[in-house]
Amino acid sequence: MARFIVKRLVAMIAVLFAISVLTFLMLEAIPNGSPAERLGGRLATAAELHEINIEYGFNKPLYVQYVKSMEQIFSGTAYSYSQGLNVVDQVKAGLPATLSLSLGAGVIWLFFSIVVGTITAIKSGRFTERVLTVLAMMGVSFPPFFLGAVLIYYLGYKAKIFPLGGYVPLFNDPVQWAVHLVLPWFTLSVLFIGFYSRVLRSTILDTINEDYVRTARAKGLSERQVLVRHILRNSLIPIISLWGLDLAQVIGGGAILTESIYNLHGVGQFARDSIAHLDLTSILVVTMLTAVAVVVLAAVVDVLYALLDPRIRLG
Amino acid sequence: MRRTIRGLTAAAMTLGVLCVLSACGSSSSTSSGSSSSSKSSASMVTLVEGTAPDSLDPGMSYTSQGWEPLWLTYTGLVTYAHASGAAGTQLIPGLAATLPVISDGGKTYTATLRKGLVFSNGTAVKASDFAYTVERAIKIPWGGSGQFITDQIAGASAFSSGKAKTISGITTSDATGKITVHLLAPYGAFDNVLAFPSLGLVPSGTPFKNMANNPPPGVGPYKITNIAPNASYELVKNPRWGQMNIPGIPAGHVNITAKISSNVEANALSVLNNSADVFDWADVIPGSLLPQIQSQAASRYSKQIMNSTYYFFLNTKSKPFSSALARQAVITGISEDSLNRLGSGTLIPACYFLPPGMTGHPTAPCPYGDPSAGGNIAKAKALVQQSGMAGTPVTVWGQMRSPRRQWVDYYTSFLNQIGFKATEKIVADATYFATIGNLKLNPQTGFADWNQDFPNPIDFYLLLSGKAILPTNNENFGQVNDPRINSEVNALGAVPTTNLASVAGRWQTLDEYTAKQAYVAVFGYQTFPDFVSSRINFGAVVYNPVYGTDWSSLQVK
Amino acid sequence: MPSRAPAANVMATQSAAGSEFSEVSPALLDDNEELPPGLGPWKLAWRRLRRNRVSLAFGVVFLIIVILCVGAPIYSHDIAHIGPNIENVSGTVKIGNKRVHIVSLSSIPVGPTWHSHYFLGADLNGRDLAVRLLYGGRNSLEVGGVATLITMFLAVILGVVAGYFRGWADGIISRVLDIIWAYPAVLLGVALGATLAVSGIDFGLFSLKGNSLIVPAFVIGIVYVPYVAKPVRGQVLQLREREFVDAARQQGLSHFRIMTGEILPNLASTIIVFVPLILANAILLEAGLSYLGAGVQPPNPSWGTMISDGVSTIPAAFHLVLVPGIMLVLAVLSINVFGDGLRDALDPRAKVRIAR
Repeated sequence: MARFIVKRLVAMIAVLFAISVLTFLMLEAIPNGSPAERLGGRLATAAELHEINIEYGFNKPLYVQYVKSMEQIFSGTAYSYSQGLNVVDQVKAGLPATLSLSLGAGVIWLFFSIVVGTITAIKSGRFTERVLTVLAMMGVSFPPFFLGAVLIYYLGYKAKIFPLGGYVPLFNDPVQWAVHLVLPWFTLSVLFIGFYSRVLRSTILDTINEDYVRTARAKGLSERQVLVRHILRNSLIPIISLWGLDLAQVIGGGAILTESIYNLHGVGQFARDSIAHLDLTSILVVTMLTAVAVVVLAAVVDVLYALLDPRIRLG
Repeated sequence: MRRTIRGLTAAAMTLGVLCVLSACGSSSSTSSGSSSSSKSSASMVTLVEGTAPDSLDPGMSYTSQGWEPLWLTYTGLVTYAHASGAAGTQLIPGLAATLPVISDGGKTYTATLRKGLVFSNGTAVKASDFAYTVERAIKIPWGGSGQFITDQIAGASAFSSGKAKTISGITTSDATGKITVHLLAPYGAFDNVLAFPSLGLVPSGTPFKNMANNPPPGVGPYKITNIAPNASYELVKNPRWGQMNIPGIPAGHVNITAKISSNVEANALSVLNNSADVFDWADVIPGSLLPQIQSQAASRYSKQIMNSTYYFFLNTKSKPFSSALARQAVITGISEDSLNRLGSGTLIPACYFLPPGMTGHPTAPCPYGDPSAGGNIAKAKALVQQSGMAGTPVTVWGQMRSPRRQWVDYYTSFLNQIGFKATEKIVADATYFATIGNLKLNPQTGFADWNQDFPNPIDFYLLLSGKAILPTNNENFGQVNDPRINSEVNALGAVPTTNLASVAGRWQTLDEYTAKQAYVAVFGYQTFPDFVSSRINFGAVVYNPVYGTDWSSLQVK
Repeated sequence: MPSRAPAANVMATQSAAGSEFSEVSPALLDDNEELPPGLGPWKLAWRRLRRNRVSLAFGVVFLIIVILCVGAPIYSHDIAHIGPNIENVSGTVKIGNKRVHIVSLSSIPVGPTWHSHYFLGADLNGRDLAVRLLYGGRNSLEVGGVATLITMFLAVILGVVAGYFRGWADGIISRVLDIIWAYPAVLLGVALGATLAVSGIDFGLFSLKGNSLIVPAFVIGIVYVPYVAKPVRGQVLQLREREFVDAARQQGLSHFRIMTGEILPNLASTIIVFVPLILANAILLEAGLSYLGAGVQPPNPSWGTMISDGVSTIPAAFHLVLVPGIMLVLAVLSINVFGDGLRDALDPRAKVRIAR
């Protein structure tokens, strides 16, 4: 068991390292993206560019620059080139909006996925199931910025029910906080419900045929008790693990498109702005954040699986 | 066990989230200095802008959004008159008692500091603060420090590279308040350089680093407080301004909160609905809202010219635009009406490189057809055939953001129409000018723009002079190297801004020559919005041709 | 028989479908009880699919969309008389008996005219929206299709090699998959797009121009490799323990023969099930990349670029968003529903439904 955990840890660190190096190299490779030229502005002279190169260390070999960037990131002193602001501070400033969006949406999508997944599994083959399936599929077929645009146009501009975007901090005005988040929550949840309900349905259908379910029925438990106590408990395992990982992704700035269309100024939108500016430091920080969140949770999930299911101690 | 883990995890996560939400929610700003006491008596107006200032540190900032607040908070030795139109291009003494005396054939500038000046924190202003401010601008580094400081002031280059401890060309005397600056060569626009907010005085000892979140104190009708990076900042009236009695620079009427929101559409709507007061002049009102604004808010909206020329550069060194006929074909055939429609009707048709608000803008009819009459495609096709360049492959470069991308889409389609084989390449905004400024790439044609740094034609003509062609960070994209332009630029560039009127005729002739040579395909002068809420006294708003809406002129009705 | 395959995935976020399958053995149904005698698994699957009217209907919808898009040149040439990149910003078009500007002075393009010229209206540059919609469909489908091919090709090879040989080959491949999978797809797309947009790639034998469609297809293809490779690997891990593989090894067959002859055919239904899933997601990812400027390069249309161009014109010209958006959603939805039906048909546990 310990060996398994250690192996996963080592693999995790290796992956994170590889990702940081990859990002760094890719951004360095972009032609004419010299940060010195961008820092210097349109009228910078050769002498100025030289100064900037020395001051920021751009003339040093790549691996030295890489080490310096990583040091800065881990000590919280990384500054973005395009604006000279502390990147870690900016990410922290974006966290409330991103957390509000992702956790709210997370709860919503988990709940509805369970409901829809269970119904489509039980009523499999019937008309209800087909309709729900198509509805769920629709959710997964919309690019979030299109869905967002449609919602903003019809419910915002035309019907004027919802605001046109923006984020209101929770402690400033809880009601407005929720009102501003309704459309973003819906947009983000709809993406996942389609997927999760299908996975849950498929897991439930597998579990239904397991021996212990037949045993439970034979013992005289009602269909409902069988469903909740045995089928759902076991079927929810993969769902919860997926949920944790997707949540990690979204918190790390994965909901770039949803946050941008609703102008929430969260970590995702910050990621988008950094990409638009091709700002090396900011992109590095956001990438690392997402990667860390995802990889850590993947390892935690694998460890949990190994703990819970003795069959899976592959190593 | 499963349930316990799940329960614990959920509880931990919720706790963690609540902590973060409350912590981040409460501490939303950093402030420099006391804010609440000074704004008790003045009303507060809200300004919405789509792009944040690149920095609120004067020694760093080099964008319109930065200069808007900074010219009111960091006054330099000279500044511009707080007036609209041509009157606003006049230089007036700022912290100097009079405009600098120019001697030694234009190489020496001497000024004396007014008496009794204090920074917004009460510290007295000394003459040596000027020298320190210039040194700081070099070291931070300020984007214009190479072009305007190191290349001009004697000893600045040695200071910049670390060989000297101070700038030998600047001498000051704290006792008398006298400041003397020696230039390497006569440079007519040096007064304009002194007027840059980046040369607005800061106290000696201010650290040599970008203090965007906590800028140093300055001398001006306003001071900056309550900065929430990338979100908002405030300008409150400087209580120490009145006692200094500087003529020509009025104290403000209201305090201003500037809110940054990238959704420009929502910004325009909020000013239309009066939930915000001022729309930032440097933003573009989305075309979809213009009809609404023009009908509902006609009494508080107008279009203003800010010296800004939009053009397609033409590489005069390679095919096909090495041929003058090919260049003329472009200028003859291009439809400025189409480009204007793509730009929401905010362009003024143009053919001359110097914009209308600039001394030297020619008034003679355009040499290749009236730009507002639509393009002459047939004639353009004939010219292309004549030039022998028909069928030449052309790569057209453009930026990603609207409407620039749409302009390049149109331009590419147009080039194909008149006989070239054009394909477009759209590059991310952040790297566009660095990309086309790389001589190795040798770009054939593409979008370019120039917004004035100061109202002196030399600022525009540095883009067309031979010595401005650089291997990287080139701005003379067309690689124009014409001996007549070079020599005129040399001669006229040495004339001080205060004597500009005397050489206006020569600038005009030069600009007409440039148009005749078809060196650049100018397609419009951009106009900018002057748009406020109904709460603001629109008639009293001053729209300075260098810095846009003058926030110190904002008044509530 | 197919293991649990993940359903349509989410764009711009990544899911953990892989981890679940990398270590866990999916439940296999070795003994196909209660199969009607004489019918092989493929015939059975086809029967099940036929019964699923909804899926079939959507499959037909998708086919119609493909045919329409393939017919883009015909529409452009014979009906609309205008190409996809021809601009007409200052021109006018006749609606009823009025002449209307194609693009107004405030940059608002004309809406649907419902006749042959500018049937669905014009875009910001005065181009015919209907023509661009069809050509854009071609580009979107082409990018999606090529990306899917790249994904399936690479994923099957990597999955089979990793699962079959295990050991260090598996270790390396799994780590590479982890890296790709944890990497924000969008960033990869944008960075590669930015790099290649200016200079294109030169691979000695062949070179790609910066605005070729292969670039976004390649990026999207790489992104989805782990989603397919991991479940494939999981399945191969079990298959290699089965008796027929042992038998083949004892027969002295080479590894290559075993992989192609014994293992690959058993993966067939898994692979078939994945194709529509990946295709749907590839099209969605292309739209996302185009929104960020890293997808299909202008002036070439694609549904994604058309939507993202349109978003900037809300609220004045919403048809610019609605038209390509609906097409895109319809296409992706059809693929998803059909693919879902396909999976149900190939899944032996579907016997639960036939029984009712």
